[in-house]
Amino acid sequence: MEYKYMGSRGSGSMSWFLQRISGIVLVFVIVGHFILMHYNPEMGHSFDRVYERMQNPYYQMLQIAFVVLALYHGLQGVWNIYRDFKFPSWLNLTVFSLLIVLGVGFGALGIANILHF
Amino acid sequence: MYQKSPTKEWTSNVVRYKKFSGSWAWLLHRITGLGLTVYVLVHINTLASLQEGPEAFNAKMQVFMQPHWVFAAWILFGLVIYHTLNGIRIVIIDFGKGAKYHKQLLYGAVAIGLIVFLWMGYIMFFGHDEHDFLSRAVSFFS
Ligand code: HEM
Ligand code: HEM
Repeated sequence: MEYKYMGSRGSGSMSWFLQRISGIVLVFVIVGHFILMHYNPEMGHSFDRVYERMQNPYYQMLQIAFVVLALYHGLQGVWNIYRDFKFPSWLNLTVFSLLIVLGVGFGALGIANILHF
Repeated sequence: MYQKSPTKEWTSNVVRYKKFSGSWAWLLHRITGLGLTVYVLVHINTLASLQEGPEAFNAKMQVFMQPHWVFAAWILFGLVIYHTLNGIRIVIIDFGKGAKYHKQLLYGAVAIGLIVFLWMGYIMFFGHDEHDFLSRAVSFFS
């Protein structure tokens, strides 16, 4: 197969970069989330507490960003791992499509959970 | 070159390779990353019960407040804290001059991680003091 040099474009350097940026943002969100959910068991496990938090539109925006970033970072990570193996191209396409479907599907569900309030 | 069983070969290469601290760090980062990804999908699915109203959600959450589930959540926190701290380490190595001291960064991350992990376990199992700094910060945001 002919090899065409494309610079760093199409080499995955953008997803490499975005994996790091999304990771940095996730640090703050995820640590905050865990403390908030566990500092006191009621916080993370009661409908009323979730309801109160969700009355704040900024909290809702933060949660939407959390869903989107976690899914992007996680599924992009799975794809990255998959690419370390050598599989037939039909499987590549299948796995890639599956990841997209998972991301869009769970992303929609997660955002619906938030906007329901 | 076509390899007959690339997957098997990759796996045996990883198993056979003499592992330095960095290789363990990498392998653990992968495993925790995969675990967290699966968790996020399950988590979003569980939270869908928020849309069915308070009874459905609270009934589900009652289950997760049982001690063995609290223990599971603590282990989950272990995955989170490792992946987070090692993730920061990776970013420092890539964007900064971390390659010069990546080992020290790893030991530091493990040390901080262990302390935070034990501290979180203490909070999760034995509760907290309502007047300390974190408690106030948490109630401020909720
Ligand atoms: C807390 C903040 C986080 C940081 C700082 C972080 C950082 C990183 C970095 C820098 C990478 C790239 C590793 C590499 O290219 O060698 C990575 C990979 C990965 N992350 Fe995260 N991450 C975080 C949270 C998460 C979360 C919440 C999930 C799950 C939803 C996740 C799942 C993954 C997966 C599956 C990989 C691929 C592992 C690999 O390529 O070996 N991460 N993470
Ligand atoms: C066992 C510990 C955890 C508990 C009890 C918990 C609890 C909750 C609760 C009650 C919500 C509803 C929204 C809110 O009140 O803010 C939520 C949302 C969310 N959590 Fe967690 N969480 C935990 C761990 C995690 C971890 C480790 C991650 C990331 C890897 C995560 C990612 C998310 C995301 C992305 C949302 C938004 C989901 C949606 O909108 O459907 N959570 N969590």
